[in-house]
Amino acid sequence: MSKEKLFILIFVSIGAFIGMVLSYGTYFGIHMTSGEKFCVSCHEMDPMVVSYKDDIHGGKGVLGASARCVDCHLPHDNLANYIYTKAKNGIAEVGIHFFGDPDAIDWQEKLKHRQSFVFDTGCLECHGNVMKNDLATTSKQALKMHKHYQELKGTEKEIGCASCHFDAGHKGMRNMLNYYKPEHSMYKEKMEEKKKEVQKKYQKYGIEVHEE
Amino acid sequence: MKKVLRFIGVFLFVVPLLYISVKAYGGDNQSPPTITKQEEIKISPELHKKFPMKSMHAKLSLSCVFCHEGQGNNPEEWEYVEEDACLSCHKTKKYLAERLAFMDTLKANPHNSIHDGTNLSCDECHNEHKPSINMCSECHQKEIKENIWMRKVP
Repeated sequence: MSKEKLFILIFVSIGAFIGMVLSYGTYFGIHMTSGEKFCVSCHEMDPMVVSYKDDIHGGKGVLGASARCVDCHLPHDNLANYIYTKAKNGIAEVGIHFFGDPDAIDWQEKLKHRQSFVFDTGCLECHGNVMKNDLATTSKQALKMHKHYQELKGTEKEIGCASCHFDAGHKGMRNMLNYYKPEHSMYKEKMEEKKKEVQKKYQKYGIEVHEE
Repeated sequence: MKKVLRFIGVFLFVVPLLYISVKAYGGDNQSPPTITKQEEIKISPELHKKFPMKSMHAKLSLSCVFCHEGQGNNPEEWEYVEEDACLSCHKTKKYLAERLAFMDTLKANPHNSIHDGTNLSCDECHNEHKPSINMCSECHQKEIKENIWMRKVP
């Protein structure tokens, strides 16, 4: 083997090694920061975690399958966009957590533009057959409305999965949001009781408990 | 040294090419089949104005026939829809009641009321083509007026 060839071989080997370490590190980092336990540590979202744990997407189904936060709340069209959005959101959330006023956030209002933080590409990663004609459902309504979705896709009237499936992933979220921040003054005391009940029940998922 | 440079050059060229081809192949695989549009029934602008849609339904660009299904091709002859039409999207009355379960804490859930349970007809309060009314307010004026009980009826 000539010196030159040996040099190339060493060069490529080192390169491959660095490449593997970097990609595995990135994969591991992304994987470790994708579940609700990580997200809730900074995100002010106890009601969201609780309602997620009550939903089939949170593992309530008989088979125990569950989606993670990032499966719906990050774009899955390409890896670059995924990582970019993840990093951008992460930085914004850290900023709000330490320097903003998370208590002032009006979650009910935010739900109105849920299409902007639920990504269809994420839904379709798992529900990949939902737009096909041979969907295994007896529901004519589902076929009818999914056809409507497809007809609007790409037009200015485009809708998202969450436009109709408003509570997918978070069962009873409006109730949970009310426990934490009542919509109407009449319920204030009762909601405080409910909130304590919920905090106790879901403490194991990293929910904050306020002791008196 | 020349060989090394050539090798790096080839490497830099091949990797993006591989990425693009894999992506294109994957993309092709996922596009759903096209479905032909259903025949549209002509609705005059006057009729649209006379029967405006609620904003949340308009936002979804629902067409008239989604609710007025099987009522013929003449919109002038269309009638009120049955509850089934509402519930084909809005699931069940029990589901709707559970959505407002926080109101049950004061037995104040309009979808599971102390008077009617979950049995009220949708159109006792909710209208599509004219403003909805709040049936509760017929007796419980104060709570509705002071906006301490519930949102405006959608």
